[in-house]
Amino acid sequence: MRHLLGVAAGLALLAASACSAPTPPRAAAVSPTPAGPATLPAPTGPHPVGTTVLYLKDTSRPDPWNLDAKARELKVTLWYPAKQRDGQRAPYMTPKESELLLRGTGIASAPYDTLSKTRTNAIKDAEPAGKTLPLVVLSPGFTKPMSTLTSLAEDLAGRGYVVAGIDHTYESYATTFPDGRIAECLACDSNSDPGFGAGLVQGRAADVSFVLDQLPSKWDGSSRIDRSRIAMAGQSIGGSSAMATMLEDPRVRAGIDIDGTAYARIPKSGFSRPFMFLGSAQHISGGSAPTWDRDWRLLTGWKRWIVLSGTEHQSFTDTPLLADALGITPTAGVLPAARAAELTRTYVAAFLDQHLKSQRQSLLDKPSSRYPEAKFCPATCAPS
Amino acid sequence: MTAFTAGVRTATAALALLLTPLLMTACTAPAPPRGETSTAAGTVCAPPQGAPGKESATTIDVIEQAYSCILGNYHSGATLDARSLLAAGFAALTQELNRNGRDLPEAAAPALNGDRKADWAAFETVYRKITDQVPDLRDKLAVATLEAIVAALDHHASWAHDVQQPPDYYDGDGYGLGLEANVNASQADGNLDAAVPPLFVTSVQGGAAQAAGLRPGDVIESINGSAPFIDHKATPAIAALYPQYPQARPVRLRLLRQGSGRRWSVTLKPGLYQRDLAALQVVRSKLLDDDIAYVRVTGFVPDSADRILRAISRLRQGRTLSGVVLDLRGASSSGGGSTEATRLLSAFAHGKVTAYHCTADDTCQSLRTDDTVVLLGLPLVVLTDRGCASACEHFASAVKDLRAGLLVGTRTAGMISGPAQPYLLADNTILSLPDKHHLGPNREVVDQIGVPPDHHVPLTPADAAAGHDPALAKALTLLHK
Repeated sequence: MRHLLGVAAGLALLAASACSAPTPPRAAAVSPTPAGPATLPAPTGPHPVGTTVLYLKDTSRPDPWNLDAKARELKVTLWYPAKQRDGQRAPYMTPKESELLLRGTGIASAPYDTLSKTRTNAIKDAEPAGKTLPLVVLSPGFTKPMSTLTSLAEDLAGRGYVVAGIDHTYESYATTFPDGRIAECLACDSNSDPGFGAGLVQGRAADVSFVLDQLPSKWDGSSRIDRSRIAMAGQSIGGSSAMATMLEDPRVRAGIDIDGTAYARIPKSGFSRPFMFLGSAQHISGGSAPTWDRDWRLLTGWKRWIVLSGTEHQSFTDTPLLADALGITPTAGVLPAARAAELTRTYVAAFLDQHLKSQRQSLLDKPSSRYPEAKFCPATCAPS
Repeated sequence: MTAFTAGVRTATAALALLLTPLLMTACTAPAPPRGETSTAAGTVCAPPQGAPGKESATTIDVIEQAYSCILGNYHSGATLDARSLLAAGFAALTQELNRNGRDLPEAAAPALNGDRKADWAAFETVYRKITDQVPDLRDKLAVATLEAIVAALDHHASWAHDVQQPPDYYDGDGYGLGLEANVNASQADGNLDAAVPPLFVTSVQGGAAQAAGLRPGDVIESINGSAPFIDHKATPAIAALYPQYPQARPVRLRLLRQGSGRRWSVTLKPGLYQRDLAALQVVRSKLLDDDIAYVRVTGFVPDSADRILRAISRLRQGRTLSGVVLDLRGASSSGGGSTEATRLLSAFAHGKVTAYHCTADDTCQSLRTDDTVVLLGLPLVVLTDRGCASACEHFASAVKDLRAGLLVGTRTAGMISGPAQPYLLADNTILSLPDKHHLGPNREVVDQIGVPPDHHVPLTPADAAAGHDPALAKALTLLHK
């Protein structure tokens, strides 16, 4: 199985992370001199952005991965509209987290602490602003820390959302806790087991429900949240976790699966809350792993299935934005990082604006000349 | 789904079925650029580069590609008489014609003179002449022909084709009747000679079997009206217990529950069924009797050796263990096999050869223990059965030959020819060919024969019905001596 798993890893270096064998990337040639630290693109919305970190402990269930942990500990990063524009920018990740992520992913083309120098836009622990704000839960891909979705999270906060991004402990190469403990990827031990994905998304659903339970008492700004307006989005298995969560927790009203193979079992009777599949070409209709085709038939409410041509699995994360700093030459034929980030931010925000802010978005109804990359499936995206 | 029953041959198709979603889980990498996976037309064959694309029809060109691929890559490909392959393929072709009531006067074998190229040309000419007359059977005939060519190789060569996912499949689902019997799926698929009566249910996993109230220990007296054993020899009727998608014909079983003497019949419809996710974990462990580390392993997957060793060291924390039970019953290999077997063995013995991989001309490579793995220094009992196949047998034969522990249970599968290499064919199917054969540490052949346990402790229907595990009980007795 090793060779079979390994070979799929070609295109994006960071995509190779969870594979058992570090296959040398085909197209990601290493340039001799990495550029300086990356700067994430500025949020597009009107609000300054603040961020803070919460550490939560669920004593009602044991950790699913660490058999010696009697409770499930979670790190939650909040991004939110802030009062001030000035102050200390929040760190992207610690040098140690950067090292563990790069080592785990097999990237040696830049110093291991490189990602810790990434410049973010959010002000650390800034005072929150606004009221009756909608809430968006974000869940990252397998092995990835939550920080790899920072560009999307900051943008949503700038547009007036509170974002709760969850580091699902032991499902990422590195999660640091306040006492200095670093949880590494224990789940990586079993990721080739049958039923692994199905079990993982169930665990993430429990993580999200616990975070929603705890937020009011654990964050001072939580009175600014309108708890009747909650959505969830995630990339890769985080996207499948959005559906898994919605199936279990009616508080989450709308969801987006961003390029994630779907693992959550939708009842035969269907699922009626708004849901969007947003993906790369690997998720066109009639592809070789047709989990979206399967679930599309079961979505009975508002639904969209949009494939962005020129994207690949990591286009929806910060990864392409970090490629220069890491000395990785982008794969030929894949959209430039800035464009991929713009598309991701635009379509995610459009969905949320429509379903949490009741603002009708024509972008979601038909192809747009501003964003010709977006193809509406299954009608107009069959395999060529 | 038969994936984690033993055996390369049946496992291949099911493995691919499971892999497809997993590829997405773990790597979630995009498919290779279009064209890269489908340029293998003609005679070249290469290992697959990623998840294969959608299967297309098998054609004479694909058969030719497979033929060349076999002659170029199979362990005895350089020396075998290629005419035997073509003859086997041709025989199957004519049988398939006849089965469809369409036998043809032209369907006589071409003369083959031993020149591989010329023989292929002669074969292809006749093949085309035949299939042109029955265009509606073209796909079927191609499949039958290629299946027969591959079947003419040793039983570790396999061709995984028509690998379809049921459209409603979710990760972790099984497909079939929802039961496992003491004659497992891979035995039923071609290793029936080793099966011993009576046939009985060993586990009920879900689906139709669960809905019909079947229980472990229920004796299966007939399958679709046929006896599973005649004169103590297993019959092909047993294969009907393990339908693979899209096979969906209902299977009628007559059952006997020995405890109550009840005899009844059920009709089970194959289908998808949900399985217990926790039970699907490949490595599970627990402490038994406060001092035995028990580790259940259902497959030798990449990293399984380290997972097993970590599980043992976790159970060892804060206590003194008396021994380790490795329960490898039903542990098939899903790749990464010999590496994992050798690594695991290295925790029990150093400085040894765990197996030999030999080419057709008997040049052997010794697989040596990795002496950087820390020795556990604990007594070991390994539980084996006919489901312990491939890497599991590599490990079991090494434990036995090197006296690293004791084997308890029943003989292993005898399904270990040697490392196999997958090759992608132009129709996006996978041809898997062993390139070396496997010998145990004493240079003995294990394939077809299996590894006999030190203590033969078979499971009976009464044990299964009562939830008794006599092999495990024996293991605990041995470790507490």
